[in-house]
Amino acid sequence: MSDAKSDANSDAKSDVFFLAEFAAGVPSHAAQELASGAASLAKQSGGSAVGLAYGEGAADGAPSLRTWGAARVLVLGTHAVPAITHAAAVASALRDGGVALLAPATPNGRDLAAATVGLLGVPAFGPARAVRFEEGGLKVEASTLQGAWVTISEPADGAPTPAVALVLAGTFTPKEGSGTAAVETAETDDGPLGAARIVETHQEGKAAVNLEEAQFIVAGGRGVGSADGFTQLQQLAEALGGAVGASRAAADAGWVPYQLQIGQTGKVVKPALYLAAGISGAIQHRVGMQTAENVVAINKDPDAPIGEFADLFVVGDLFAIIPKLTDEINRRKGA
Amino acid sequence: MKIVVCVKQVPATTAEKRYTPDFRLDRTSAESVINPLDEYAIEQALRLQEAGTVESVAYLGMGPEQAAEALRRALAMGGDEAYLVTDDALSGADAWATARVLAAALNKLAPDVALMGMASDDAKGSLVPGAVAAIRGLPLLSYGSELRLEGSVARIRRLNATGYDIIEAPLPVVASVTDQVGEPRYASLKGIMAAKRKPLETWSLADLGISPDELRGAALTRVVEVRPPETKAPTERIENVPPDEAATRIADWLAARKLL
Repeated sequence: MSDAKSDANSDAKSDVFFLAEFAAGVPSHAAQELASGAASLAKQSGGSAVGLAYGEGAADGAPSLRTWGAARVLVLGTHAVPAITHAAAVASALRDGGVALLAPATPNGRDLAAATVGLLGVPAFGPARAVRFEEGGLKVEASTLQGAWVTISEPADGAPTPAVALVLAGTFTPKEGSGTAAVETAETDDGPLGAARIVETHQEGKAAVNLEEAQFIVAGGRGVGSADGFTQLQQLAEALGGAVGASRAAADAGWVPYQLQIGQTGKVVKPALYLAAGISGAIQHRVGMQTAENVVAINKDPDAPIGEFADLFVVGDLFAIIPKLTDEINRRKGA
Repeated sequence: MKIVVCVKQVPATTAEKRYTPDFRLDRTSAESVINPLDEYAIEQALRLQEAGTVESVAYLGMGPEQAAEALRRALAMGGDEAYLVTDDALSGADAWATARVLAAALNKLAPDVALMGMASDDAKGSLVPGAVAAIRGLPLLSYGSELRLEGSVARIRRLNATGYDIIEAPLPVVASVTDQVGEPRYASLKGIMAAKRKPLETWSLADLGISPDELRGAALTRVVEVRPPETKAPTERIENVPPDEAATRIADWLAARKLL
């Protein structure tokens, strides 16, 4: 395999690492995105893309990361434990340098990135909306101050490597290839960060579609008014081939589980279409969806703040419009 | 049992924000508040104190001298005392430097739980809790929707894909909580008056035994460019049309963007 040979000859200090979380042997969509992102950065830095895999089925699924661009994968652990317990193994894998560690801007990704920063004393960036390798160095683009500014940052002169970058969902696009990555298993003492244990797991209802992966999201807010109201949103989401999300107000009201919450304290999403129904568009919500490619808002209040940043703002009664929109989309799609 | 809640002062959400010529957030120009997500950590600590699980609640902040205002506001909500680490060498501190300094201060205070909000409004990285835990060599319990202390262990309730997990670690721990712990209380007039008499101590880096050299200019990162976001096309509006027509026009709009 010529690929593997060129990878073996690359300079380890130029490697680009990424975190890859697994469930049931399948890498998360974020892991696929980061594998492809790391591969494209590694091409510029002259190294390889190296996955740091953890979670259930990580060992079985690790070779598949080659599909998205990983040359090598180090398996940190294969059990359902808090991700933070792998921090010592991540730090150990990075002790010889590398250009960057890409971590998904999810709770687990942030925890591992943070612990790496603490253990190794390395620079931290993000949450990034773009990561580039330019003029021999890393450049990280982030949206700051509630979207009021965009900053571009780099490691300070003489800063230790690798730089750790939190990466927002949708920043990189997974590119599918073929092949199998070389897999190794980490042998590391977990240390004090390994002491956290899951002592109870409670499942409530069926697994929701992963919002961070959805290309079409129909999100409801206070204006949806009830759990029943979300049924109409679900039907529209199904017509579009997408998922249902919610604002904090709707989750707090108990109409949907908190797993569906989008915003500063919920999920951060970047779908091709974000259709907001009955969501006023407070800044805390906007933080979770402002990078969506297309935003359509339906709201009966013509002055709702979401009208200022939606691409299409429809003033009207969502309960009158959404069923008709669902029918229209099904008709056009020939369903 | 003792909890120290880390409290950050941030520009108010509604405040106009700008950068200084050297690309640092101009913290003098904006109205400042307690980082809203830190108020949930304060609320969680005060609930545990009211339940008798925790004897003492202290606050720890880092920032310019004016950050003492945020600590006074926290003391007005409740709790016993506060500490502010302030030093010119900390200007522009990044996640790593902040964690390094907070870890040193927390080691000095030695609480059973060092509690933080899940993120700050300005930096948004959620990196400080994990970095502090790593530097202090303690377990991290993060993103709790509830914190419980029982005997020699701490437990948090944390959302998983479909429900929630209970995650446990032996004390002492570093923990962070979400906005699901319960709405933060308002400071009462009595609380505001009482806060003026509560101890608020100021520490320099020297007091923590950290030399400015160790912090390497307070940041391992450097902002090289600040610009406004890309201007986007103005919002198209559909108004005063019957639902049928609105639905058709939305579908047309989606089709034109190849979203159907």
